[in-house]
Amino acid sequence: MTGDVGLIPLIPERTRVVDWHRVGAVTLRWTAAILGALAIFSVLLVAKGSSPTEVFVDMWISTFGRAKSVEEIIIKMAPIVLAALAVAVPARAGLTNVGGQGQLIIGAVAAAGTALLLDGMLPGTVVFILMIVAGMTAGAAWAGIAALLRLTVKVNEAVSTLLLNFVALDLLLFLIYQPWRESSTGQPSTRELADAAKIPVVTGTGVNIGILLAVIAAAAVYFVLNYTRWGFRISVAGGNPEAARRAGMPVAALLLSALLVGGALAGLAGMINFAGTEYKLRPGFGASFGYLGFLASWLAAHKPLPILVAAFVFAALAVGGDSLQLDAQLPAATVNILTALILVAVLGWTRSKEKAL
Amino acid sequence: MAHPSSSTPPILSVTGFTKHFGEVKANTGVNLDVLAGEVHALVGENGAGKSTLLKMIYGIYEPDSGEMQIDGARVEPGNPAEARGLGIGMVFQDLRLVPALTVAENVALSLPGGQLLRLDAIAKKIEHASAQHGLAVHPKAKVRHLSIGERQRVEILKVLMTGARLVILDEPTSVLAPQEVDALFSVVRQLRDSGFGVVIVTHKLGEVRAIADRVTVLRGGVPILEGVDPAGYTNDELIEAMVGRAVDTIQADRTPGAKHDDDRPVLHLVDVRALGDRGHEALKGISFEVRRGELVGIAGVAGSGQRELCEVALGLRPTSAGRVILSGTETRRPTDAIRAGAVSVPEDPVSDAVVSRLSVLEHMALDGRALPRKGVGIDWAAIRRKTHTANERMQLRIAPPHRRVSELSGGNIQRVVLTRELSIDCSLVVAAYPSRGLDVANVNRTQEILLERRRGGAGVLMVSEDLDELMAIADRIVVMHDGHVSGIVDYADFDRQYIGRLMLGGAA
Repeated sequence: MTGDVGLIPLIPERTRVVDWHRVGAVTLRWTAAILGALAIFSVLLVAKGSSPTEVFVDMWISTFGRAKSVEEIIIKMAPIVLAALAVAVPARAGLTNVGGQGQLIIGAVAAAGTALLLDGMLPGTVVFILMIVAGMTAGAAWAGIAALLRLTVKVNEAVSTLLLNFVALDLLLFLIYQPWRESSTGQPSTRELADAAKIPVVTGTGVNIGILLAVIAAAAVYFVLNYTRWGFRISVAGGNPEAARRAGMPVAALLLSALLVGGALAGLAGMINFAGTEYKLRPGFGASFGYLGFLASWLAAHKPLPILVAAFVFAALAVGGDSLQLDAQLPAATVNILTALILVAVLGWTRSKEKAL
Repeated sequence: MAHPSSSTPPILSVTGFTKHFGEVKANTGVNLDVLAGEVHALVGENGAGKSTLLKMIYGIYEPDSGEMQIDGARVEPGNPAEARGLGIGMVFQDLRLVPALTVAENVALSLPGGQLLRLDAIAKKIEHASAQHGLAVHPKAKVRHLSIGERQRVEILKVLMTGARLVILDEPTSVLAPQEVDALFSVVRQLRDSGFGVVIVTHKLGEVRAIADRVTVLRGGVPILEGVDPAGYTNDELIEAMVGRAVDTIQADRTPGAKHDDDRPVLHLVDVRALGDRGHEALKGISFEVRRGELVGIAGVAGSGQRELCEVALGLRPTSAGRVILSGTETRRPTDAIRAGAVSVPEDPVSDAVVSRLSVLEHMALDGRALPRKGVGIDWAAIRRKTHTANERMQLRIAPPHRRVSELSGGNIQRVVLTRELSIDCSLVVAAYPSRGLDVANVNRTQEILLERRRGGAGVLMVSEDLDELMAIADRIVVMHDGHVSGIVDYADFDRQYIGRLMLGGAA
């Protein structure tokens, strides 16, 4: 019983619980990269005539120093986490889903349509569940367009999903300016969702339980990717389609399903943003959660649990960015520069480390 | 080594080259000297340190210690350009020419020159040099129209025209048909006679005997024989120097394999045509069959359609005409072939079998058979047991199950694939270059396993670039040339020269 193989521990490396040494190293790299990004950002602030220390202290206080802001961060986190998972699942299959934003919008449109049609007629909980189903299905269908283009005429899914974002946005605008417009006066938007169908809010706070759904979704994606046959198969198809084909796997169906699941997750993000935060469709609906999710997934190397951390960072930056505009009188877009610097710093550094190994 | 007889110093003299990569001792105290007008063979198994030595000589790696002299003067080339400046020329195993350009244009790429491209002048120089060295090439021909042997001549010419006096040929014969090897060797002899120093890397003893004046044998990065005359050693002694022990050569017994109730051929190709990746017709009407208990070899120069043939047989590549029948059922998709009981060793395991990030154990699960279930997950314990059994049975000693396959060497990857595929009960084995990247002992073991499968009643289709290997174990050899079957030779009629002619298209 002492063959070469018998000596090996029975748990595969991949399924070991948590490698704390690695977590420490990753945390250190992230911290250093973020500090580096802040340093570069400081140069810009100085050039703009602001004092970096003042701006950072202001940002910190307005981001974490007020209960309201912390609630705001948690609320924003939910759609970002889901939009990031919408990137992470297809990424496992070797696909680049840049269409989270569009899938999110379409998910919200479907949820809103369901609500407009049914709320008041059916019990709130039923409408709520139907909105989830509609949002996820619509998000999946929107991603499915890109998947089919890829599998039939070989259009790169990164391009098609990105372009479909603009189509989704225009569809949203058409609906709220024309058929779904609440009134011909005032802002173009749909009517507000009935209270019974809104996502419940944690008592005493402004936080809706969307974050709970997002965390459950992250845990589910983690489990599915690492412990199911489907998760294993899409890893193989993504890692080397030719090897998957030789092993008799239905590669096209696997890629299709991975992108559909991604779309469904983004659709859920749209539904949560609609039924938990905004309650109506309007021109700026969904902010740029889809894109922030894309960045968060890349920052987290497409791993579900680190995605929670990355989404938190981006949500905090988004909230801090608002205060940047109010307190430091800097344009709102300034925070985008900081976001981009952090992303480039973390990616640049972690990738170069991985290469060096 | 001192050469009291020669008054002039050797062209190249390497003393005590050592290069360690962490734990891996690629070279330890290696000496090599090459005289003007001699052919020096450098032999050793895969991983013996030949490539590392060449890379240090060519300025790609910097040695940890040791020194190198050219014409008795100490040199330290820091990069290939400096090495070329010192008169060192290298012809790599994977030829590095631009297929879309002409011979003259390719040569121009490697010559120093101003901004003006004077192709006519270069063409003249090429003609002059090719006449001088007996290297027939046409300067205006596009490289993509040349055979591998011709491309090799262009590479050698390129090296000579950049002023090399020491020509290093890295496994030059691995891609050539026997006749092309003869042609190459006559070029090498001519170079030797005109005073060049030639280093030739090979692991074929016949070639050492045919061409080398002296031989250096490396094993595990350490020189075992240093610049000795091969005539003073028997084949067994040279093999033992290479692998550290005596190795029996396999002799297949050609008695028919186990009788089987089902006597349909396990693979039957009927006038099969198929396109290659570049849209050209790669298979132009192939017909032959493989029966149970039979090992059929496929011989041919590289790129004659072997890859496409294997893929068509496994349902991986669509046919444009003809029929592919495995054990009586027509095969169109990979799953058809798997269901018919086919297993395969891909031509290029790194690109066709290795999945980044996955471990050895996870690769063992990719055998085309259903994944063992455990709820919604996979029963990894079952795969672990299967891996253990397969490893015990195959004795190819695969890497530990938790290792990432993408971090393994080519030979170790090949062993994982061989262990996985050949441990499956199957009716047909399609093995493309199964011994590629393996050391002598594992090559033998792999051949034994293939013969075991044959004896057990499977049909084996084996592609190899080593004609000796095929002649040693095949029952029949199907020779391919340019997408056709140029001949099928039975065991009783095996003959190197005859098969070599068929490989070149069958012209007498």
